[in-house]
Amino acid sequence: MDIAPPRIIDLPAVPPTIEVAGLTKLYGDFTAVNDLSFSVRPGEVIGLVGPNGAGKTTTLRCLAGIIPPTRGAVQICGFDIVRQPIEAKRRLAFFSDEPRLFDYLTVYQHLVFIARIYSVANFEETGLRLLEELEIADKRDKLPVELSRGMKQKLAIACGLLHAPSVIFFDEPLTGLDPIGIRRMKDSILKRAQAGAAILISSHLLHLLEEVCSHVLILKDGRKIIGGSLAEVRERFSEQSGGGNLEDAFFRATGETTGEK
Amino acid sequence: MIAGALFYYQFHSWRNRLWMRIRRLRQPKYLAGAIVGGLYFYFYFFRGFSGARASPRGTHMPLPPEMQGFAETLAAALFMMIVIMAWALPHSRAALAFSEPEIAFLFPAPISRKTLIDFKLLKSQTAILFSSLIMTLIGRRWGGGHLLIRALGWWAGMSVFNLHLLGSSFALTMLMDRGISTWKRRVLILGAVLAAAAAIFIWERHSLPPFPDLENQNAFARLSQYIGQLFGSGPLPYLLLPFRLVVAPYFAATYQQFLIALLPVLAIIWLHYMWVVHSNVAFEEASIEFSRKIADRLAAARAGNLHAARRPKKASRSPFILRPEGHPAVALFWKNLISAGQFVSARFWLMLLWIAMVGGIMLRSPWMGSGGNLSTFVFFAAGMALAVSLFSGPQILRNDLRQDLPVADVLKTFPMPGWQIVLGEVLAPAVMLIGLQWLLLLVGMFQGEFMKFPVPLEWRLSVGISAAIVLPFINLFGLLIPNAWALFFPAWFHLGKDAPRGFETMGQQLILMFGQVIVLLVGLLPAGGVFTLFLLGGTFVHWPMLGMVMGAFAAAIVLAIEVGIGIKLLGNVFDRFDVSGELPV
Repeated sequence: MDIAPPRIIDLPAVPPTIEVAGLTKLYGDFTAVNDLSFSVRPGEVIGLVGPNGAGKTTTLRCLAGIIPPTRGAVQICGFDIVRQPIEAKRRLAFFSDEPRLFDYLTVYQHLVFIARIYSVANFEETGLRLLEELEIADKRDKLPVELSRGMKQKLAIACGLLHAPSVIFFDEPLTGLDPIGIRRMKDSILKRAQAGAAILISSHLLHLLEEVCSHVLILKDGRKIIGGSLAEVRERFSEQSGGGNLEDAFFRATGETTGEK
Repeated sequence: MIAGALFYYQFHSWRNRLWMRIRRLRQPKYLAGAIVGGLYFYFYFFRGFSGARASPRGTHMPLPPEMQGFAETLAAALFMMIVIMAWALPHSRAALAFSEPEIAFLFPAPISRKTLIDFKLLKSQTAILFSSLIMTLIGRRWGGGHLLIRALGWWAGMSVFNLHLLGSSFALTMLMDRGISTWKRRVLILGAVLAAAAAIFIWERHSLPPFPDLENQNAFARLSQYIGQLFGSGPLPYLLLPFRLVVAPYFAATYQQFLIALLPVLAIIWLHYMWVVHSNVAFEEASIEFSRKIADRLAAARAGNLHAARRPKKASRSPFILRPEGHPAVALFWKNLISAGQFVSARFWLMLLWIAMVGGIMLRSPWMGSGGNLSTFVFFAAGMALAVSLFSGPQILRNDLRQDLPVADVLKTFPMPGWQIVLGEVLAPAVMLIGLQWLLLLVGMFQGEFMKFPVPLEWRLSVGISAAIVLPFINLFGLLIPNAWALFFPAWFHLGKDAPRGFETMGQQLILMFGQVIVLLVGLLPAGGVFTLFLLGGTFVHWPMLGMVMGAFAAAIVLAIEVGIGIKLLGNVFDRFDVSGELPV
């Protein structure tokens, strides 16, 4: 059964779960992310799009506390990721495009390990439910080397969701998944959003973002080109030239061409 | 035309790699490594050539004539053993060592099987030539003679072995395809070898002189004479003939002798080549898997963590039940113990058994001199193992940050302050080292009673208890140093598949090793000073043993403070560690 995309509800009273203000990341003279500001409320799914090198992955890594921002502030559930990293990280999960697992831990041992790191008291029940949901329950004693790429991705997701994060960052979540896996991943994202999680997804698959995102943020050269609800972004660019979908909006916003005349 | 393209690829890959390494020297860290590595090479290999060194080791006297034949026979026998192993040991299908990009580009290309094999053989020649050079330079320390002859001798032997290994792997794959399992083949081969050895033993039992008495002087000369007679009579000379032919060029004394000896080897090489190219065995699938393994091994070796290259084949049991509540650093300790457990395999126990056997043989040998007192040997072996474990243990056991640095981005998402991550990471190797050292202490203390010159029990207990108190903190301190190097100089820890290599890398490793020793010694100075004060105080009041134990306590406290400060500082470094600038994430 398909789950409907998150509805956009105007609830100014609900405080944002993710709040980014003036985020800047420099590598020497190179500016990877430049003065980026946005916020995400509970239940919102934001699609982070942009051409290669736009700063999407760097943004996600800064938000997840993996790399330190050069300037600006990032708040996760009200906790500053630089000054209160422990409290902030307790509430977030980050999924990289390539599943990052420990070669020598089995599927189940991964869950045991993560449960201790995040102090998940009822991890056995939650973990097994997640494994069932992700259809890898029968692989609980397997090592990552014995799993296909898709299954590794599922294990990484099970580990990330074990502590029921309020904030989820996905970096190219569909890489390497088969059509069934893609469908399940989309459903999973929407389910977490409906449960109140704030989700940020970086992807080049614009049709996926159209299906799951409530909002979109277009980056280019580390800068925000436009951000807002899907409808707002589409409307803004359809006014200019009558285009209708996110793909058209993306090309117009970033000034890229498809090569067609 | 295709051969030309492959040659072009090989030549330009080599040239570009060399050029890249030269350009890299503009960075101080590579330049420093290159200078130290170059000096090491110069002093180890080349100084003798210029005659700058006047030590007797620089003269490189050739082997005496009576030893020449013995050495040649021994080399031939060794080569025969290696070839037998090449037929008995392998358990996987024939695979040619191609890199991953070579597989991606060459396997789908319209290239014949023979050309692929030719390319592989050409490629392996680079490694063979380099290995020949290195072996010649190393060998001149214990050999002598013409260096060019030695180098070409190495080249001839290695080339034959390389081809034989390839041919035998094809033949073994054919046997596998015909349903002959690995174990059946091993039993057949080793059975045939044992049967041949038994037949030779029976044949030569009456013709050979009795085994020499090795307790007397000139035992080595007698033994070499006996081995010479053994390999010179009966069927053994004929069995050894092909192997003797292969090693003969290496032992040639003149260029004329070398050329005469080289002719049969060239014939053997040609026969092997024909065997290899005419073996109709599919190697492509196994080569793909092999290339992946090689790539992983290379990446791990360049990261200084060869253990990580061995992908775990089966899951290890949890060392203890990890409950969800409690200190999160324990989770890292638990994880790293599982990681370490991957290498405590049947092979590990076999290696221990092998070491024990070698130790036992050494003990019984006349060269021990002491008459083979078991307790003395065990006492000193335990003491030596303990001393070695203090310096080498932290280098060997790398189930800590050095292993996990490539996944530092994952660690950084954990809700743990840096100091907890550092503590959790170093605990596993520390606990393993401490366990081993306490066991060695117990063994040493127990054996001291039965030595020729027994150490009094109270002294053994005092030393043992004192050592047991300070060792955990010395180990933790010793482990923090390489972990600190990894965090401060991640580029020197060579992470990922694109990590640098070469003698400048070796120089960097030497700098790190030297630094490790200096920092360890400087770090131990305050604790050593405190211990000495207590020991002197105890001696002054005629209670030296009590002074020693109390000194150990005091030294442990000083070391614990140092370790605590180190963990906190490293934790801060880890918190600020920018993975994007250092790691290929």
